[in-house]
Amino acid sequence: MSDAVQTATSALRRSFHYRDLEAAGARFQPVADAAVAWVYGDDAGNEQTRARTLGIADLSPLPRTGFKGRDIGPWLAKQSVTVGEASNRAYPCGKGSLAAKLAPTEVLLLGALDGSDPLPGALNDAWTDDAGLCFPVPRRDASFWFTITGKMASSMFAKICGVDLREKSFDNHAIAQTSVARSNTIIIRDDLGAVPAFHMLGDSASAGYMWMCLNDAMDEFDGGPVGLEAILALRK
Amino acid sequence: MSGGANRLPERAGEWVDRARSVSFTFDGKSCQGLEGDTIASALAANDRWILSRSFKYRRPRGILTMAGQDANTLVQLPDEPNVLADTRAISDGLVVEGQNFDGSLENDRGAYMGLFSKFLPVGFYYKTFFRPRGAWKFWEPIVRARAGLGKINEKAHHGYYDKAYGWYDVAVIGGGPAGMAAAASAAKAGAEVLLVEENPHLGGSLAYARFDADGMESSKQLEALKADLGGVEIMTGAICNGWFEDNWLPVIKGNRLYKIRAKHVVLATGSIEQPMVFHNNDLPGIMQASAAQRLIRQYGVRPGKRAVVATANADGYAAALDLRQAGCEVAAILDLRAEPTNGAIVNAVRDHGIPVHAGSTAYEAVAAKGNRHITAVTSAKITGRGECGSGRDRFDCDLLCMATGYTPTHHLLSHAGGEVGYDGASEMFCVRSVPDGITVAGSLNGSYDLGATIAEGHYAGWSAAKAIGLKAGRQPRVPNDRGSLNRSHPWPIFPHPKGKDFIDYDEDLQVRDIQNAIREGYEHIELVKRYSTVGMGPSQGRHSALTSVRLTADETGQDIEVVGRTTSRPPFTAETFGVLAGRAFEPVRHTAMHHRHLELGAQMMPAGLWLRPAYYGTQDQKTACVEAEALNVRNNVGLIDVSTLGGLEVRGPDAAEFLNRMYTFAYLKQPVGRSRYLLLTDETGVIADDGVACRFGKNHFYVTATTGGVDNVYRSMLWRNAQWRLDVDVTNVTAAYAGVNIAGPKSRDVLAKLCTDVDLSPEAFPYMEIRTGTVAGIPARLMRVGFVGELGYEIHIPSGQGEALWDALMDAGRDDAIRPFGVEAQRMLRLEKGHIIISQDTDGLTIPHEADMAWAIGRKKPYFVGGRSIDIQVARGIERKLVGFEIADPAVPVPEECHLTVRGEEIVGRVTSAVRSPSLGKTVGLAYVAPDQSEPGTEFDIKIDGGRIIKGQVVKLPFFDADNARQEL
Amino acid sequence: MKIMNCPLNGPRNISEFVCGGEVTVEPDPNRCSNEEWADYVFLHDNDAGVVCEWWCHAPTAFWFIAERNTLTDEILRTFASSELFSERQDYSRPEQEAGQ
Repeated sequence: MSDAVQTATSALRRSFHYRDLEAAGARFQPVADAAVAWVYGDDAGNEQTRARTLGIADLSPLPRTGFKGRDIGPWLAKQSVTVGEASNRAYPCGKGSLAAKLAPTEVLLLGALDGSDPLPGALNDAWTDDAGLCFPVPRRDASFWFTITGKMASSMFAKICGVDLREKSFDNHAIAQTSVARSNTIIIRDDLGAVPAFHMLGDSASAGYMWMCLNDAMDEFDGGPVGLEAILALRK
Repeated sequence: MSGGANRLPERAGEWVDRARSVSFTFDGKSCQGLEGDTIASALAANDRWILSRSFKYRRPRGILTMAGQDANTLVQLPDEPNVLADTRAISDGLVVEGQNFDGSLENDRGAYMGLFSKFLPVGFYYKTFFRPRGAWKFWEPIVRARAGLGKINEKAHHGYYDKAYGWYDVAVIGGGPAGMAAAASAAKAGAEVLLVEENPHLGGSLAYARFDADGMESSKQLEALKADLGGVEIMTGAICNGWFEDNWLPVIKGNRLYKIRAKHVVLATGSIEQPMVFHNNDLPGIMQASAAQRLIRQYGVRPGKRAVVATANADGYAAALDLRQAGCEVAAILDLRAEPTNGAIVNAVRDHGIPVHAGSTAYEAVAAKGNRHITAVTSAKITGRGECGSGRDRFDCDLLCMATGYTPTHHLLSHAGGEVGYDGASEMFCVRSVPDGITVAGSLNGSYDLGATIAEGHYAGWSAAKAIGLKAGRQPRVPNDRGSLNRSHPWPIFPHPKGKDFIDYDEDLQVRDIQNAIREGYEHIELVKRYSTVGMGPSQGRHSALTSVRLTADETGQDIEVVGRTTSRPPFTAETFGVLAGRAFEPVRHTAMHHRHLELGAQMMPAGLWLRPAYYGTQDQKTACVEAEALNVRNNVGLIDVSTLGGLEVRGPDAAEFLNRMYTFAYLKQPVGRSRYLLLTDETGVIADDGVACRFGKNHFYVTATTGGVDNVYRSMLWRNAQWRLDVDVTNVTAAYAGVNIAGPKSRDVLAKLCTDVDLSPEAFPYMEIRTGTVAGIPARLMRVGFVGELGYEIHIPSGQGEALWDALMDAGRDDAIRPFGVEAQRMLRLEKGHIIISQDTDGLTIPHEADMAWAIGRKKPYFVGGRSIDIQVARGIERKLVGFEIADPAVPVPEECHLTVRGEEIVGRVTSAVRSPSLGKTVGLAYVAPDQSEPGTEFDIKIDGGRIIKGQVVKLPFFDADNARQEL
Repeated sequence: MKIMNCPLNGPRNISEFVCGGEVTVEPDPNRCSNEEWADYVFLHDNDAGVVCEWWCHAPTAFWFIAERNTLTDEILRTFASSELFSERQDYSRPEQEAGQ
C-alpha cells in the first residue's frame, strides 16, 4: 500500500457517504482507483476481534460491475466467466471475484476484496454493442457495497430484514434480494474463512441512511465499523 | 415482616425477591414492596385494596383476576396511562396514580354517580345521539369530560422501540403445563421451538393453583416440566397479541415487537376464571379464587383475614386449602351445586372443619362505608336457576373468592379462524374446529385434569413435529376424561332487585342492562354488545362474554350455541403506539453533491425520497435568493443538481419500438446523437410522466423520467414488456448517475475549460443533441437541453464521481460568476418558458390535448399506451385547456396554485403555477380555463384568497424569449 | 402476514409484493368498439373464485402471475408470465393492412 497520506476525497471516485466513515474515525488507503476506509482505530487486533463478532465495512469504492439481458450466459462464458444454472446463488470466478446470479438474465460481479482482480474492469472493456441482449449495469455507482461480518451478523439482520439469514437457513453463497429497513437490497453470504460474512448492496443514494440503520441495529451487539484491513485479515 | 403487613413467610417458587425491597408511591402515598412485585401485589401486601374507580359510577374497584384480564387495575404512570397494576412490575421511585376520580382515589367527589345509575339507562349514548333533538349536544361535553381512562402526557419521554423477526418450526403460546409439555415434545423430535409466556415466569396454573390435598403436586410437576425444556427458546414476559395469516405472530416483549413466523403453532393459552353475578359483586375484596391463589403463591401475599369461598368446582376447595394454609380463616364454602363432588381435596377441606354449604350462593355482599371493601356476605339457598329462597345467612369476611367456572382463552384461535361453540355437558365454551397449521392443548381445549393436560401437551408437541415432517416417534396417549365436567356452573347469576349485580366491570353493566337491551329489540349478540357496550371496555369481554351470552340466550329463548359470541380480533391486549411504530425506517436519498449543498447553505426540500436544494440562503431571504439565482442563470451561468431525475437504460434491437409503444411521440426515426421529448400517458390517456429520450446508439436509449415517477415508470415498462415480449432490456440506473445542469449564456465557456474531447461549438453540438466525453477527467453524458430556456448542458456522470465534478465546475466557473441554483429558481425559469411540470400543471384527469400537448403525439403509430383512450375523449370534446396567462399590474397579488378560475358562478378550472417573474417584470402563470377562453388576449377571472376576483389575460407561450433563441445559442 | 411464493425469489412476506390487478386480454385498440375499450380500461370482473393476477416482487421488479382464490385468499400457484405470454405481440392499423 502507498505511504502517501490518503483522504476520502483524494481520488475522483469517493465512497457515497464518506463523511460518516470519517466521523467514525476511518483512515483511508488507496485501493484500485479509489480510497477505501482501511482502519478505524490504532488497534488492528481489536478491529479483527470486532469483525469476528459483528463488524461492518464500507467497500463501496471497490471495483464491481454487472450484466443484464437474455444473452448474458453465452457472453460471459466467452469471457471465461462461468456461472451456474441456479439464480440467487453466487459463483466464485476470476482471481477472487464473485459472480452473483440475480436472475437468469442478470449477474452482479463483485471484484476481489483487495481490489486486485482486474476482471470487473476487463469485462467492462471487453463489452461491445454486438454482445446481443447483454448489457453492462453500472453497479459500482448504482449500489453501495457493505460487508457485514461476524457471528452475530444474522441476529442483527433479524432486526431489519424479513428474510431468515441464519447460517443454517441461508448457506454460503446464497443470495436474498429483499427489503432491508424499507430499502431494496441484495444480500450475498460469502464467508471469510470461518467467519460468517454478508455482502450487502443497495441504492447508492441511500448509503448514508442504510449505514445509520445498520449501525443502530448493531449497537445491541457491540458491533460497529471495521476497516478493509480487518476484512482481509479474516480471509487468512 | 418485610414488604408489607400481609406478606407471608417466604416459600419456594414465589416470584418476589425477599432480599430486595422496592419503594414507590401510589395515590400520593409511599409504599414498600419487593423486587418482583406487581403494583397490585405490593399494595395488597400493604393492605391497600382500592386500585381504581369504575368508569360510570365511580365505584371503588380492586383486584379481580390478578392476571391482567380486567380493567379494575388500570392505573396511571407519569408517561403511560392505563397500565395494568396486576401485571406491571414495580420499580424504585415509580409514581403511580389512580384513574377516574375527582379529588382522590379514596374519596372521589364523583362517587355520587352511583346514586344516579337508574338515570343512565342502557344505550344511553345511543339514545342521546338521536333524541330529544339537541340532547347529545348537551351531554357530549359532560360525557367527554368524564369519560376516557388515563391521561396522555404529551411531554412524555420517547422511548426506543424496535422490532425483530424470528423464525421457528414450532411456536408454543402459553407456558403452562400443556405449553411446556408441547414445547418439550416438539423439541425432542428435533423441532426448533419457541415458547411464549406472558408472565415473567413459566408455569401457568402450576405457578398458583393447587392440584392435590397436600399442595405439593404443582411445584413437583413444574420443576419436572421445566427440566425437560432443553433446546427450547423461552420468551417470558412476552405477549403474543394476535394470529395473522400463515402463522405470523406479533409477540411483544418490553419495547420490542417480535414478528414470529412459525411452521406450526401450538396454542396453549389456557382459560380465564369467570366471576359470579350477585349484588355488590364488584367490591374490593371480592376476587377470583385464582387471583387469591396468585397473591399467595406468586407474591407471598395473604389476600384476606377471613374468607368466604363461593364455588361450583373442586378448584374452589383447593383455594380454600391455600387460604387456610396462608393464615386466612375460611368462614364458609358456599357450593352452588346441590351435591358437591367428593375427592381428596374436598375431603381435606371437610377434615379441616371448614363448613360447606351445599346448594347455596353468595347473594349480597355487604360493603364498608363508601363501598370501599367487603365486610360480609349474605348467602341464600338456591331454589331455581338464578333464584334464591328467602332465608339468609351472614358471614363476616374481608375476602370473597369466586370459583364457579372458566372460559377458554380462545382469542388467538379465533383470529386464526378456529370456531368456538358451547358444550352443554361441561357448560363451557369449547373449541369446535382448529385450522391447519395449529394445534390446541390444555384448558383452552377443555383439559382441566393436570395429568390429562400434560399428556395433551405432549400430544400437541408430537403432532406439531409430525405436521412439519419430523420423525416424532410414538404417538403420546391422551386420557379420555380430561376433567372438564363439574368445572363450570351453568348459571352463577343471581339478579338482585337493587341491581349492582355487575356483569361487566369495565362498563358498569348490570343484569338488567342486558335484559333491557334485548327487550328494546337488540336481540343479536353483536347488537347487544354494540347497544349495551358489554365487552367493549379494556378487558374486551374476558369476564363478561360468558354471562352476557347466557343472559341473551335466556332472554331470547335460544341455545347458547345458537347465540354464539362476538367476533374476536387482534390485538389480544392493549399495545402501545411505540411498539407498533418501532424504529422509524424512513429511507432518505442523498445525491452525490448533497453535502456540498449543505455547505453552501441550501434549504433542502423533499422530492420523493430525495432531498433537493430549494434555494441557497436563509429562509428570511428566500424571495431575494430565488430571484438572484434565477437572474444569474439568465445573465451569467448557474449550476443545478439534477441527480434525482430518473434514469433508465433501454437497450436492444426493439428499443425504439418499445419507446414508440410506451410514449406518445415517435422514436423509430430518431437519429443517434439526438434527444427527443417523452410524454407518458396511462391506459386511460391521462398524462403520467415525461422526460427525454437520448439515443446513444441504434439499439440504445438513455431515458429520463421525473424524480417521483421513475420507479413506477420502470415497473410499468417491465410489466408491459412481459406481455409484448420485445427484444429489449430496461435497467433503472437512477442512482448510478449524478447529474447537473449548467445553464446560462456563459455555460459553454465554463464547460469548455473542463471538456476538451467534445467539440462544444454550436455547429458541432447544437441544441437537442447529445454527446459522450469526459468532463474534468470524468466520463460523462452531455445533453443540450432547454428546460430553463438558456444555453445549457446536462452532464450525467457516475455518481461515485459526482462530488468531484461539482467541485470542478464550481471552480471553473468562478470567474464567470457561477452560482448554484435550486428547485425554486428552476421552477421560476421554466415557467417563464411555459414548460409544464407533470402533476403540478397536470392532474389525475389531464389528457395531452387539455395541456396543449397534442404536438407530442405521434399520429401515424399503430399503438401507444393510452392512445385509444385519448382518441375517444378528443372525439367527445375536451372541457378545459391549460393556458399561459399574465397579470401586468404589479399591484395585483400573485394568485396561488389551486386558486380557481371562474366564469360567473361556474368553476372552469384552476391556477396550476404562477410567479412574479423578475426577468419579465410581471406575473406569469399557467391555468386551466374553458376551451373558448383559450385564445391569446382573452381575459378570465381568478378567484383568490378572500373571494376576490382578479383578471388574468391569456398569452401565447413561452412568456420569455419567444423564438427560443437563447437556449439554441 | 401472508407468504407468497415468488417464482424467482421463493417464499416471502407479501409486503414485498405489489399486486398489478387481474390478467386481462387487451382488445385490439385499432379495431374494437368504444364500448369494448371502455370495458377493458375501466371495468373489472372482480370474480369470486380463482382468478389470475399480476404480481410484482418489488425489490427485484420481477413480474409474475398468481392464481388466487378471492373467496379464501388462498394462493394456488405462482408462475412466470411467459407461460401465458409466450409470443411477441404486435399492433397494426386497419388502413395499413388495406394498403398492403
